Amino acid sequence: MNKFLKSIGVFLVIIFSISSVSAATLTERLKDGHKLRLGFGTAVPWAYAGDNGEALGFVNMIALTVLEEMGITEHETKVFEWSGLIPGINANRSDMVTGGMYILKSRCENMNFSDPIGVFGDAMLVPKGNPKGINNYADVIRTGAKLVTGAGFNTVEAAKKYGVPDSQMMLVEGEVGILAAMKAGRADVAVQTFFGAKEHEAKTGGKFEVTDPKLMPKETLNVVGIGFRKTDVEFRDNFNKALAKVMANPATMLKRAGEYGYDKAQLPPPSMSTEWACSTK
Amino acid sequence: MNAEWKWDFTFQILPQMLWATLNTIMAAGIGYAIATIVGLLFLLGQRTPIKIVNMINREIVEFIRSTPLLIQLFFVYFVLPQFGITLSAWVCGMITIGLHFGTYLSEVYRGALEGVPKTQWEACRALNFTNFYTYRRIVLPQAFPIAIPGMGNYLVGIFKDTPLLSTIGVAELFHAATAVGGYHYRYLEPYTIVGIIFLILSVPAAMGIRKLEKSVNKAQGKVKY
Amino acid sequence: MNYFSFLAEHGSTLLLGTVTTLKVLICATILYVIISIIFGLMRVSNNSAIQGIATVYIEFFRGTSLLVQLFWFYYVLPFFGISLEAFTAGVVAIGMNFGAYGAEIVRGGILAVPKGQWEGAHALNFSPFKRMKNIIIPQIFPIILPPVANLTVELLKATALVALVTVVDLTFEAKQINAITWLSAQCFGTALLIYYIISRFFLVPFLRWLEVLAARKVGRGKI
Repeated sequence: MNKFLKSIGVFLVIIFSISSVSAATLTERLKDGHKLRLGFGTAVPWAYAGDNGEALGFVNMIALTVLEEMGITEHETKVFEWSGLIPGINANRSDMVTGGMYILKSRCENMNFSDPIGVFGDAMLVPKGNPKGINNYADVIRTGAKLVTGAGFNTVEAAKKYGVPDSQMMLVEGEVGILAAMKAGRADVAVQTFFGAKEHEAKTGGKFEVTDPKLMPKETLNVVGIGFRKTDVEFRDNFNKALAKVMANPATMLKRAGEYGYDKAQLPPPSMSTEWACSTK
Repeated sequence: MNAEWKWDFTFQILPQMLWATLNTIMAAGIGYAIATIVGLLFLLGQRTPIKIVNMINREIVEFIRSTPLLIQLFFVYFVLPQFGITLSAWVCGMITIGLHFGTYLSEVYRGALEGVPKTQWEACRALNFTNFYTYRRIVLPQAFPIAIPGMGNYLVGIFKDTPLLSTIGVAELFHAATAVGGYHYRYLEPYTIVGIIFLILSVPAAMGIRKLEKSVNKAQGKVKY
Repeated sequence: MNYFSFLAEHGSTLLLGTVTTLKVLICATILYVIISIIFGLMRVSNNSAIQGIATVYIEFFRGTSLLVQLFWFYYVLPFFGISLEAFTAGVVAIGMNFGAYGAEIVRGGILAVPKGQWEGAHALNFSPFKRMKNIIIPQIFPIILPPVANLTVELLKATALVALVTVVDLTFEAKQINAITWLSAQCFGTALLIYYIISRFFLVPFLRWLEVLAARKVGRGKI
């Protein structure tokens, strides 16, 4: 019996010791030989994982370019549900959020952002021909259409702000859930990023179309940043320095990210800074 | 986000969570109702005298029972629309839960029927009762009490599996917690509240079922242990 | 795209996920068996404090849903200073949850050992510890193994939930492939099939073999 108890003890110690993660900062963690953990969801073409878990999508490409500029070449990936990204980094499940998150006030309270890596808008995805004539939130309310979007998306906040009632909203897990709901006809219209909607339009062979993003309310134009834990200020600052270098000479970055549709039009204007987005968005 | 429990946040989200609890209870209730009927169908398939039906029935039950409910949900939710069958997330969830737990309930029914002593059947045959009469008046009244505890256990079981429905977007309690957690970027309070609500609902239910089980055993003249 | 080209392209990914699923299965099974024995023994203890702790543990883990526990372990526990890797969090959550069910089985098994055996051991002046270890425990295996087998099959199915906390298992890979290719029937169908094969042709036969072994050992009168 003693032996038995001992082996239990050993087992429990092993289980807990592999896992106890110290509360060290990211800089210290990397020095200790830990790999940097990129956290993102499945949002083609923003950020998603390949068959072997490799980081794909333009946000990942930009982040990797900057990390290489910083001399960090090794990383591993953690794929979350969208709604789990910020709780995940705060629970020390990842070190950087490269999902392509808009810099919003509510998010700034829970996570630090890098300087903007691009400026993006939202759009609606509707069945081909747009039978209900929906181009923005006001149209959704007017037609009583069922609006699908992702849990934890900025669009939930936006839809509420523009007065879409809860009864017309359908919340699903991420981009995958959105397209599934649209394909199956469970929802009439989806609201998501312009890029995400474009991807869905292409993927379904024109079964759906993207509405003109200019018809969306102007304030839905947002800047995207890379997310860091509140405690990793030093690392974030170093990242920003490297990011500035990359942005000053963006050819390499544009080539890598360009494969996923990111182009010069997305380069963030200096007027839209992280501080600005954190205080107004 | 820090580890501190925020009471104002708790009270802010509590009404929403309690509403969602109603959905959870409803999901468990409807899913269970379907499962009891599906269970009967599987039982019928098992007891028909046609061998090939028995065999197919057994394989289906075996397959459903040995694969995860989570993937079954994904399968029904994502694949059926490809064949032109589009059901809402709710309906998908209810069908899948009904099928999954129907296989378990058919076992409970079978056990209960087998729990009725053979002599009862023989006596009925000797008295020349019709099959229907035998089931209705003699066998089922005896089998039902035996089935009650097992049926109760699976009711609680379904209740505890309802959080899986959130993965296909059914707006039950766990979905509400994830949505509210994703909106406010805090999981501490929502998930803890979910745990407490589950505890409050399922522990008394489980205790009640155990009591029922004891009284059934006593009524049957069986004393456990 | 036909099914074979689907398998050629994604089969290896699904198999890699299957390996992780098996790892979770094995680790969680070891953990839940250990917990079952400890808490099962505590449940039959004469000391009411020990018994009380076990009862609370069992009611708590059986009363809340596994998915809730898993998310709690993964997203909330780190704020209390315990940060388990996703894999470990998954194994621990499943192990502790199933341990609660297993403990009840162990308790039932201990109580089902005939009274005469307890009295016999008492008459022979065995210490309570020795009585448990040499007389009672060996006899409970044939009693508890059938329900333990059922529980272990349930555990295999429950491992699918770890996919929801970023563990790259079979379910996770199926979800990923579905997200990128939208070949839902192929990827989820294949995943279901793999779980079925593991359960039907490997796990269940192994557990049946254990049952036969245990029955034979007791039948031989080894005490």
